[in-house]
Amino acid sequence: MAHSSLSQNEEGNMNTLIGSGLWPYLLVIFAGFLPTDIWRWLAVIFARRLDDDSELMVFVRAVATAMVAGVITRLVLFPTGDLISIPLMIRVGAVAGGFIVYFLARRSTLIGVIGGEAIMIAGAYFNVAP
Amino acid sequence: MSESDVSILPDPTSQPALSARQWYLRGLWAGITSVQGIVLFASYIGFGGLCADSGVPLGAAAFSTFLIAALPSQLLLVGGYTSGTAALVIALAVLLSAARLLPSVVTLLPLLRGRGRFWVQLFASHFVAVTVWVESQRLLPSLAREARLPFYFGLVTLFNMSCVIATVLGFFLSGQLPRALAIGLTFLTPISFLLALTRNSRDLVDYLSLALGLVLAPVFVEFGGRLDILWTGLVGGAAAWLIHRFRKMKRAT
Repeated sequence: MAHSSLSQNEEGNMNTLIGSGLWPYLLVIFAGFLPTDIWRWLAVIFARRLDDDSELMVFVRAVATAMVAGVITRLVLFPTGDLISIPLMIRVGAVAGGFIVYFLARRSTLIGVIGGEAIMIAGAYFNVAP
Repeated sequence: MSESDVSILPDPTSQPALSARQWYLRGLWAGITSVQGIVLFASYIGFGGLCADSGVPLGAAAFSTFLIAALPSQLLLVGGYTSGTAALVIALAVLLSAARLLPSVVTLLPLLRGRGRFWVQLFASHFVAVTVWVESQRLLPSLAREARLPFYFGLVTLFNMSCVIATVLGFFLSGQLPRALAIGLTFLTPISFLLALTRNSRDLVDYLSLALGLVLAPVFVEFGGRLDILWTGLVGGAAAWLIHRFRKMKRAT
């Protein structure tokens, strides 16, 4: 897949470029912690003026949900790590299987995760030469 | 919080009068026995594995779990780090995705209010994420007012600590496990997140934005350049919201 090889090349560049130890930690603080916590703080400050069911909140929730869903798709369809070696059909099948098990188990997240994992691990075991 | 503070008010329910310390310990215990907590633990094992796979140093992986305590933000961070995205763009993506925390905190605060002062509430809000929100909604309402804050801090202490442990565990496991299990570990993040999002969906707009996000992502990976996740969220979320508005208007007429 053109995509994964591209991102791997860039990973190499990035690692040599940044090399030194502090960069990931600064990234955690300034690109992870601050943009996340600012919403938690704003919520405390403005709590009384906001209505959870207001249309603005519904819109914000919709954008956030779609974005996380996008990350999920990317992890399954364009993975970076070991998952690359698994055929696409097995990856998609494990997701679909986990979904079906989740609903069969009356919406149990834990059992759904175990179901999807069972398919993925079995698929990986029989597909990848040790 | 001293013990005498707690016993000033008569207990509205028939719960035994425990000290704040004892409620804190009960919160810890509730975290250990929480099924959502187990799923969260597993997700962070997956995150640790992902970090090891992506070349994120162990310390930074654990630090991000300790300090951010919101897996979607952390996923975007690692994803951006691996693909060499500019820090500002990563921050923007995290900022947009974390907006979902605002309504969560807003709806949780009334449960924690009462005796909590502003700074205490600010500190309490730092730990709010999907799992904490779900479990607090489940556990806090049945508790007496004075019990809630110490109980909540016990719960989030346990979750935060166990998530850091899970991150470190996942990081080390990724190099040690047989190949099939290592692959299973990497798969934990997407599958557990997909099911958690599905479980948290309440209305049509939630299901629509979830489905549109899943389907639109490959399109924007192809055409959206570096900002593909931002586009997926904005277009998918806006479309879901518009459909929700349209239905609401039709129902009103």
